[in-house]
Amino acid sequence: MKVAGAGGAVVTLPVMAAGCGPKAHLGAGARPAGAHQTYFDQFGLGRELIEKTLRRALGRGGDFAEVFCQHKISHWLGMEDGQVDRAYTQVRLGAGIRVLKGDATGFAYCEDLTEEALLRTAAAAATVADGTPIARPRSLVAVPHVSQYQVKLPWSEVGVERKLPIVQRAEKLARSRDGRIVKVTVFLEDDVSRILVATSEGRLVEDDQPMTTLRVSCTGRSQGVTETSGQSVASMDDLSFYTDEVIRKCAHEAADYTTLLFGAGSPPVGNVPVVLAPGVTGILLHEAIGHGMEADFNRKGTSIYAGRIGKRVAPKDVTVLDDGTAPRRFRGSINVDDEGQAAARTVLVEGGILRSYMHDRISARHYGLKSTGSGRRQDYRYPPNPRMRNTFMLPGPSSPEEIIRSVKHGLYAEMFTNGQVMIGAGDFTFYLKHGRLIENGKLGPVVKDANLIGNGPRVLEQVDMVGSDLRMHSGAGYCGKDGQMVPVGFGLPTVRAHGMSVGGRKS
Amino acid sequence: MSKELLGKAKDVLGIARKHGAKDASASVYRSRSSVVEWRDGKLDRIKENTRFGLSLTLYVDGRYSSHGTSDLRPEALDRFVRETIAMTRHLAPDPHRKLPDPARCRGAFKGDLKIYDAPGVAAADPVARRRAAKALEDAARSAEGAKEIVSATGISGESASEEAMAATGGMEGERRTSSFSQVAVVSVRDKGARKPTGFWYCADRRRGGLGPIEAVGREATRRALEQRGAAPEPSGQYPCIIENAVAGQLFSWLLAPLGGSAIQQQRSFLADRLGQAVASEHLTVRDDPHLVGGFGSATYDGEGMATRPRDLFERGVLRTFYLDTYYASKLGKEPTTASPTNLVFDPGPRDLRGLCAAMGKGILITGFSGGNSNSASGNFSIGIRGHWVEGGRPVRPVAEMNLAGNHLQLWKALVELGSDPFPFSSTRIPSLRFDPVQFSGMDSKAPAGA
Repeated sequence: MKVAGAGGAVVTLPVMAAGCGPKAHLGAGARPAGAHQTYFDQFGLGRELIEKTLRRALGRGGDFAEVFCQHKISHWLGMEDGQVDRAYTQVRLGAGIRVLKGDATGFAYCEDLTEEALLRTAAAAATVADGTPIARPRSLVAVPHVSQYQVKLPWSEVGVERKLPIVQRAEKLARSRDGRIVKVTVFLEDDVSRILVATSEGRLVEDDQPMTTLRVSCTGRSQGVTETSGQSVASMDDLSFYTDEVIRKCAHEAADYTTLLFGAGSPPVGNVPVVLAPGVTGILLHEAIGHGMEADFNRKGTSIYAGRIGKRVAPKDVTVLDDGTAPRRFRGSINVDDEGQAAARTVLVEGGILRSYMHDRISARHYGLKSTGSGRRQDYRYPPNPRMRNTFMLPGPSSPEEIIRSVKHGLYAEMFTNGQVMIGAGDFTFYLKHGRLIENGKLGPVVKDANLIGNGPRVLEQVDMVGSDLRMHSGAGYCGKDGQMVPVGFGLPTVRAHGMSVGGRKS
Repeated sequence: MSKELLGKAKDVLGIARKHGAKDASASVYRSRSSVVEWRDGKLDRIKENTRFGLSLTLYVDGRYSSHGTSDLRPEALDRFVRETIAMTRHLAPDPHRKLPDPARCRGAFKGDLKIYDAPGVAAADPVARRRAAKALEDAARSAEGAKEIVSATGISGESASEEAMAATGGMEGERRTSSFSQVAVVSVRDKGARKPTGFWYCADRRRGGLGPIEAVGREATRRALEQRGAAPEPSGQYPCIIENAVAGQLFSWLLAPLGGSAIQQQRSFLADRLGQAVASEHLTVRDDPHLVGGFGSATYDGEGMATRPRDLFERGVLRTFYLDTYYASKLGKEPTTASPTNLVFDPGPRDLRGLCAAMGKGILITGFSGGNSNSASGNFSIGIRGHWVEGGRPVRPVAEMNLAGNHLQLWKALVELGSDPFPFSSTRIPSLRFDPVQFSGMDSKAPAGA
């Protein structure tokens, strides 16, 4: 059995991950007509049954109840050794029911949408309270929204034959990029997720959440040395996302990131000035600082940022946002969160001052604030938590060249693949797949295979140059917390930081 | 109960054949889990989960695909199978995809693995679970130094699952498992705003196999408090000990390159090392799927092949790869099994205290952070925390340090295993003592120039 380590959170960029697991296309059928019906009517889950389930959920005196239904269909199409010879499907259909009593949560889910199963599940969640009903659920009223992420052609209507050329093209481009590339694996993933959130306060919210990811992994061989790397791209989009340019860039970068490792040395170990390249390095912002600003850790007093709203946590050039309303190519974008709240743009740090945590319903109530639309969950099998969406630092006054020039000897960190933070202590470790040395204010040779270690809040305090070149990571980032993975976006301009130590093999 | 699941799995095979699959294998599973979290004097969260689903592997006209669904309504299931078969026909044929040889599925272990505690599952009691979660927190708060606690949580959980598998080649299997766990998580005050977290747990296949709750709670508090004031030591080569509870993470990195995919895709630094010494003579490990009560125990594997014990390392010599039917065929080798079951280590004579005494001076690692291991090259790098040991005893806490090297060197530097196999995992690894290992941490001063 797995027991998750406590107090830690992990981010992964699965550029190297081979897809596996399920999919299917199984569109549930035509969308039912009529203003009073929801997508889930076709599963026999009409409004009356949802209301009955909410009544059962409040049957023991809970303050609030919520039904979260989801039908998610994911497909993977894989290519290895020159053949598209594997496909996977996962269909998830189920309902998670949550009952709140004060700060306490009762949560139960089932993968069977019959009345009997739903009522049994509601009764299980209801046991977080142990009295008689106080609140009665209000009649459900649909709360409409305009989707920012509508697609023209849902993935459920795209056959394998239309996906094959994307995978084949990516493989060919990566393989032919460099003679030293000996193996290429490509996975194309598409997801269609339909959610419904119904609350005892009478809100009924539905949303469609498309997502697609292309992952290219390469193995290179040269003079007896093997190197591996890869690249991914992701967007909340349909087939039209995969233009020639998008496929070519992903495939070429996967190959280039692999071959540049040949002959790369190890960076000097110890405390060196670090310049973070723009883009994927935003993972450091996410991990080392962002998690500490999620309100659940602060509500419990366990975050290093607990009790520091209004205090200076960074120099004045540092402004950090977490934005759910971003464009579709940023993976953490959402129309509504998984509690049915509209997405928002949350200023976490403004001019160096800590302004806000990220809230879900429970923490917002605890602090007497409005939710920031940050209540997210992996799927119906999990209760929501405050989670990041797209986290980034706004551009600052310095040019990237000026920042690099300001460092005599240091490390230019370009590609992180994973990281972890201890939320209470703030200590983090990031794996640097590749970067460059900075020698006399200029970018020097490529270095690889090292960890950047430090303390998140301390590093944020010591950011002393912020570049004008904010770039968002375009790939498939996942964030893991409380045993749940959710897609996230992140980004950073070129940034100069101190107080990190580089750990690696001695060259 | 499982008979119903087996019937369902066979029904699915029938549907697959009806729609044109030559071969197929299907697993149907059902599980329940219940968790209570008690935090800072009151109930914080209860979770009650019921899963019911199917996984299906299809072989259609020499083509392969694999699928899962939790939508088991009869009409949806028929459509699911039909559509996934239609999809499979668009793929390239792959001659290496086939069901395992039926001979490899026969002769499965017949004894009782004791991985399902029927009376324990029947005795499930939500009230008792709450009491246990509360008792875990109370124990954490009864420990010495508890006044420094910022937050403490007790978590009591249990789960039971059943699964049936059937394949068109005739393979049929059923299994039931249960597990029970007690967890405590404690955050304490430290210098500045730091709040280190300590965590401890116990787990068992049987309800009655769990140790005393008090010990779990107190240990979590101890582990939080001992991190207070942690700081990096200077970079250097030191002897080190990796505590049993975390050593499995490092060892799993040595296993990753033994998988068929890594070897066939030329991403394994161990591909050519079968029969060679890749670790010191102290490392003897057996993969034992039939370990009584083991978290990795099973009579058949994910493909339906009968499990059997095998030597993994014998005095440091690599004895097996983990090959499923597909990658074994691609490599022209005999399949073994896709992944490890229970790993049982030949222990040494001394416990952790004895290992520290033997080391004298060095680093005792009690936690890892982040990190990465490259299965193609064997290079790895990982953040660590723990204690600086001097005179055979931990003298001050360590954090923000990094352990890095190459597996081929690291495991040759293994000088001793402890007598303390970790009981709460399928990897029953004892504490490990290495000498020497490269650490980086604090340097005397940052180079000028920035």
